[in-house]
Amino acid sequence: MDFEQLSSVRKDFLESNLLLTERHLINSAKWSSEALNGMIQLTREQQYAEFQMMKRSNNFKSSNAPNSLSSPLLSSASFEPSATASYAIGSTGFESTSTNANSSTHNFTATNKILGSTTTGQGSTNSLNFLPSAFTGGSLTGELEAQQDYNNLSGVKNENEEFNQFIERDVISLADSYFNCKEYNRCSDVLKNCKSYRALFLRLYSLFLSGEKKRTLENGTVLGQNDRNYQNPNLTTIIKELEEYKTSNNISSLNDPFLLYLQGIIFLKSKKMSHAQEMFYQSLSLYPINWSCWKELIVSLSTFSEALRMINRIRKNTKFTDRKEYYLMFLFFKITVYQEFYQISNEVLSNLNDLCEIFPNFSFLKTQKALISYNELDYATAENIFDDILKSDPMRLDEMDIYSNILYVMENRSKLSYLAHYAHEVDPLRPETCCIIANYHSIKFDHQKAIMYYKRALSLSQDCLSAWTLMGHEFVELKNSNAAIESYRRAVDTNNKDFRAWYGLGQAYEVLDMHLYSLYYYQRACSLKPMDKRMWQAIGNCCEKLEDYEDSIKSYKKALSVSIDSDPAILCKLGHLYSHIDDAKNAKLYMKICLDQELNGEITDETTKARLWLAQHEMLNSNWQLAYNYAVDLTQGTSQEIEEARAIAREARMKLNTSTSSKKAFL
Amino acid sequence: MPNDSPNNSMLTFSPLLTTKRVRDHFQTPPNPFKDTPKDLNISNNNHNQNTGNTLLLPNSYIHQSSPQNSKLVNLIISESIPDSNSTIIHDNESNTTKQEINSNSNNIRTNMTADVTGLPDMSNIHENSTTSNNINPITNNNGNNNNNNNNNNNNNNNNNNNNLNNNNNSNTNNNNNNTSHNNLESSTIVDANQPLTQADKLRLWRHDALLQHHYKTAVYIGDKILSLTNDPNDAFWLAQVHYAANNYQLARNLLTGPKFEASVGCRYLAGLCLYKLDKMDEALDIIGEVNPFKKDHSIRNPDGGIKLEASMCYLRGLVYTKQNNFDKAKYCFKEAVLVDAKCFEAFDELISNHLLTPDEEWDLLENINFDDADNNNELVKLLYTTHINKYKKLNLYEDAKQRLIDEFDLGDNIDILLSQAELLFVKCKFQDCLDLCAKIIDRDELNISALSNYLSCLYELGGKNKLFLMAHKLAENYPNHYITWVAIGIYYFSIKQITEARVFFSKASMMNPNFASAWIGFAHTFAADGEHEQAVSAYATASRLFPGTHLPNLFLGMQYLQMNNFTLAWEYLSYSYSICPTDPLLLNEIGVLNYHKNELQRAEVYLRQALISSKSLEYGSKAWCSIHCNLAHVYRRMNMFEKAVNHFNEVLKIAKNDVNIYSTLGLINLKQGKIANAIEYLHTALSIQPNDAMATDLLDKALDLNARIANKKFLDEAMKSTAINNFKRGHSKVTEVLKSSMSKRKISGNLSNNLSDELMDIESD
Repeated sequence: MDFEQLSSVRKDFLESNLLLTERHLINSAKWSSEALNGMIQLTREQQYAEFQMMKRSNNFKSSNAPNSLSSPLLSSASFEPSATASYAIGSTGFESTSTNANSSTHNFTATNKILGSTTTGQGSTNSLNFLPSAFTGGSLTGELEAQQDYNNLSGVKNENEEFNQFIERDVISLADSYFNCKEYNRCSDVLKNCKSYRALFLRLYSLFLSGEKKRTLENGTVLGQNDRNYQNPNLTTIIKELEEYKTSNNISSLNDPFLLYLQGIIFLKSKKMSHAQEMFYQSLSLYPINWSCWKELIVSLSTFSEALRMINRIRKNTKFTDRKEYYLMFLFFKITVYQEFYQISNEVLSNLNDLCEIFPNFSFLKTQKALISYNELDYATAENIFDDILKSDPMRLDEMDIYSNILYVMENRSKLSYLAHYAHEVDPLRPETCCIIANYHSIKFDHQKAIMYYKRALSLSQDCLSAWTLMGHEFVELKNSNAAIESYRRAVDTNNKDFRAWYGLGQAYEVLDMHLYSLYYYQRACSLKPMDKRMWQAIGNCCEKLEDYEDSIKSYKKALSVSIDSDPAILCKLGHLYSHIDDAKNAKLYMKICLDQELNGEITDETTKARLWLAQHEMLNSNWQLAYNYAVDLTQGTSQEIEEARAIAREARMKLNTSTSSKKAFL
Repeated sequence: MPNDSPNNSMLTFSPLLTTKRVRDHFQTPPNPFKDTPKDLNISNNNHNQNTGNTLLLPNSYIHQSSPQNSKLVNLIISESIPDSNSTIIHDNESNTTKQEINSNSNNIRTNMTADVTGLPDMSNIHENSTTSNNINPITNNNGNNNNNNNNNNNNNNNNNNNNLNNNNNSNTNNNNNNTSHNNLESSTIVDANQPLTQADKLRLWRHDALLQHHYKTAVYIGDKILSLTNDPNDAFWLAQVHYAANNYQLARNLLTGPKFEASVGCRYLAGLCLYKLDKMDEALDIIGEVNPFKKDHSIRNPDGGIKLEASMCYLRGLVYTKQNNFDKAKYCFKEAVLVDAKCFEAFDELISNHLLTPDEEWDLLENINFDDADNNNELVKLLYTTHINKYKKLNLYEDAKQRLIDEFDLGDNIDILLSQAELLFVKCKFQDCLDLCAKIIDRDELNISALSNYLSCLYELGGKNKLFLMAHKLAENYPNHYITWVAIGIYYFSIKQITEARVFFSKASMMNPNFASAWIGFAHTFAADGEHEQAVSAYATASRLFPGTHLPNLFLGMQYLQMNNFTLAWEYLSYSYSICPTDPLLLNEIGVLNYHKNELQRAEVYLRQALISSKSLEYGSKAWCSIHCNLAHVYRRMNMFEKAVNHFNEVLKIAKNDVNIYSTLGLINLKQGKIANAIEYLHTALSIQPNDAMATDLLDKALDLNARIANKKFLDEAMKSTAINNFKRGHSKVTEVLKSSMSKRKISGNLSNNLSDELMDIESD
């Protein structure tokens, strides 16, 4: 066959690969691309000739229909079975294929949804005034700008890279097919000699995934013997490759957003948070509509002040304020950050509402809303929102585990049971489903089964954030402190912003009488949720156990200051503490305040204790009358307390009598 | 048969044409008639003759003409694998014959070594004797027939090839016919030029038999010739046959007597036999303890062959090596190379057994007189330059390599590749080295240095599975070769079965005491078991055997370092340093030694130096990491925390998680008063290894400090923040609460007062 015929065969196979991938017939697509790569190799001249041909037809096409560039998703969707069109997709459909690739494993679906809604929602929302002015300039040009901007920055525009991508397109299509079939090693191997950014990313990303696969395989069962002994073996290789790539291209830092993202993930995996943040930031300033990247950025932030610093930094970047797609993504990020750190301000709420105007049907935003309510302990609202989500998108299981948590807290057994059965019906092998079922078992006090389901959830996905913590709780219920500690530890390893896990760690160590340890964990929990009195109480308790009464008093005072209504327990504790350091005056003061709580509430153990203490105190100070008064009113409490109170009353009465009698005698 | 025609036979079996024929046959099998008539005839012939013939070789075999290859073949042959390897033998023959014809030289040189595949025609001995300053008295007029002999020789060759071809045919009848026939023809052709005597014909027969390794025939006929002529030359040749047949004692016996004593060639062969018979002292008696031909190396062999004098020196060196007299051996080998640059054997002995220090190697290279190699002098010099150590003068090496590739087009030659692989190994670029070595081994299965590099790289990179495969392959194919046992040893070492590994290493070092890897591996097994004393003695042996490599001394130093014997450690390390001052590992060890001796400044200097010399190292290799770590520890001890942290971070960026690094970072942070960070780091350390004693200890300390200091700060700040931030919400609320409760208290106070009043009243009543 001559060159013409060969190249037409070539085109046929390339086309079929794209078409079949489009239809998700991945095995067929794999066959096509293997056939394509098994054909006679072209010489460099022939390749260049084809490249020129493609470019000419591509220019022609793009001048005729600028829309094809506007949205990568659209362009690949409007597939035409002509050769020229397929080439156009081959070179410009970079994002589309790479997003597809991502979505198959990572949670990229959110991005796709955002993208989808952006393109559909833009027509009607031109008048929204909170967005930067560029946004009103028309949706298509904005998109175009973004595309070009990305191209310029990443250097894809330059001729060489384009040519590289062109000549490697056969191999890349083959690699894509392998990737889709989850043959990661094969994918990375086939791309060994490719030079383009795209090939490099795909190669390293598949290496990374193959390493992850190996890691989960080697680690065995969750919390088993080998668990965590095995790291992703490919991380070092990838880092090295990236370094080599940098040195060989003579650049100080990477300039491809996806490579940056990849490097960020790797830094994150090896716990180099500041490095990871830097990478994610750079990646996002090159290409913002990559939600996974934002998400990982949030994971890499460990304290709220750090998060605020990052937000400020992003805000200072003019790109994020001037350009609408950047700004939108920034808003999404901001809301999520505030939500995850349990910090809510009016500004954020208004941002959320603004976004909801553009994306009224976007489940992600709804979930955020629900989570905010949940964090504010407004369970009913959260429940309503989740009901709504479930109605509009019945097959959606994402974040439904949070819904089950809400139901658990509300002790809504029937609904939880329904949700568990429903989720099981939709897909029994989703980590979310397993979490829901675990919650269901937990509310039935079947802790063993709950743990089993949490373990299942975790073996399905290691990143299941809440499962670790909840499993820890279950272990606590079973009085298995060591296992509880281990799972809490894993919880804070995967998400160090989870105050429940930190608190749980503190509690578990407290059980083991290791107060130094628990103090530290309470501190961590406390810094995450400084407005929660329980945290401060826990610290105070720890300090007390460590016989550091001053500090204990301080933290109890703090607890008192953050609680909305004064808690008799804290007051009582403070009284006791003061009495411990022989500060009778303050002790008395707090005991009295504590006792006063009886007036606007029911009688509690603490108030009883306070009463008893006061009675004893007055006895010591020979205020018989007062002591008698306190003691007589003690009607509730343990038998011992009542007994004691009676004794005091008797004694006080006797003293009183003698004193009155002596008074009388005196008189 | 078409080749029966006398006119054709010579053409038909000309080796050059043979190769061509085979090639043609391969490329266009069905088209034999495309070529010139001559070729046509040949291919026809071939077609008839070679139905199902095993001689059809892949082209690659035929084109390979590297000395390495033929060496390999020699080795194979001398290891006597008679039947299966006929193809390779053929290849070799065609090679040598091809070279011979191409070079158009008269002399097919015999090295008089074990080179059985060379073509020892009769002229050689005369040539040799005359060229080595006429020491050989036993010349006869056969020397005049050089040219004719060459003719004969060609002819012989043809016959050989023919025979060989036929031998491989199943049809032995045909074979016999053919052989006799061709012999007859060749003799008739020779006859036309010059008549041959009966003895000459027998001699031809003998050579023929020798070439085809029909040693019995050769001995039989040789013996008859000797009896017929009683010529010392024939005795010599009979001895050669015996030597080739591994009957060293017989060869030796033949060569006793005063008339042989005078001939250098005979003495050399006799020495060689004695060497093979392990009679070192006798061998030395024969060849002399020192070189008898002092000075005057300037006279060149007119024929350009290897001077016998050099060979003698080489043999002397071998004997001394066997006697463990390495200084003398080194001297002899050096002498051999200096006498004749073409004596590669001696040069190789020097280099691959690490008998010279790097500086000495370069000195030697500068002093070698390459004029002996005639117009190849440049080539040989470049080749030798690429062969020696890669520690120093890398630019010269690179130059040489580049020139070899550009000018001589040897970029694909195994030895050039090998030298590149060695360079990569020295630079610790194991992956690249591995790839290159794999390529070499693909082409040359038993290339010792490539194999040993390959195995080491596999070990470094943790390729257990490949090690296993390689070891098995070697054990299958070369069960009697020491490299096989080294490979098995390395495999066991890599799967941490130290005892087994030791057995195999020791076996390998018994088989070839001059193989450095085996000794060092043997020593490593002791080191891995923590048996320092034995490790030290094994390393010491290695260092005695291989003074040219710094590694044994380095390892000795490391052992002593582990045994906390700093003086001895320093001694060995500094000796090693004098051999190779650029090895980053060595510099690292010296740095560590100084660190232990509390000389932090010096430690820093050495480690910095190590860092500089490791620049050429691959980014993030093991060695690179440990240097950074050690430097960080030094800085930590010097209280330069910032720098220490920087270096640790550098390592963490690339390396797998290491408990020590995290614990140390925890310690540093603790010292700097960053308690929270310290706790974080220590937690990470413990999450990697939950029962690490140091980390646990530090964590307890850190948590204690946390409770005592950080907690106060934390609470104070919290109180302050309540005071400032929550002033509106929190504080006011507190005051409110307090106020309200106060007021309530007042009320209750009133109440209680009232109550008490009432009570009083009651009681008073």
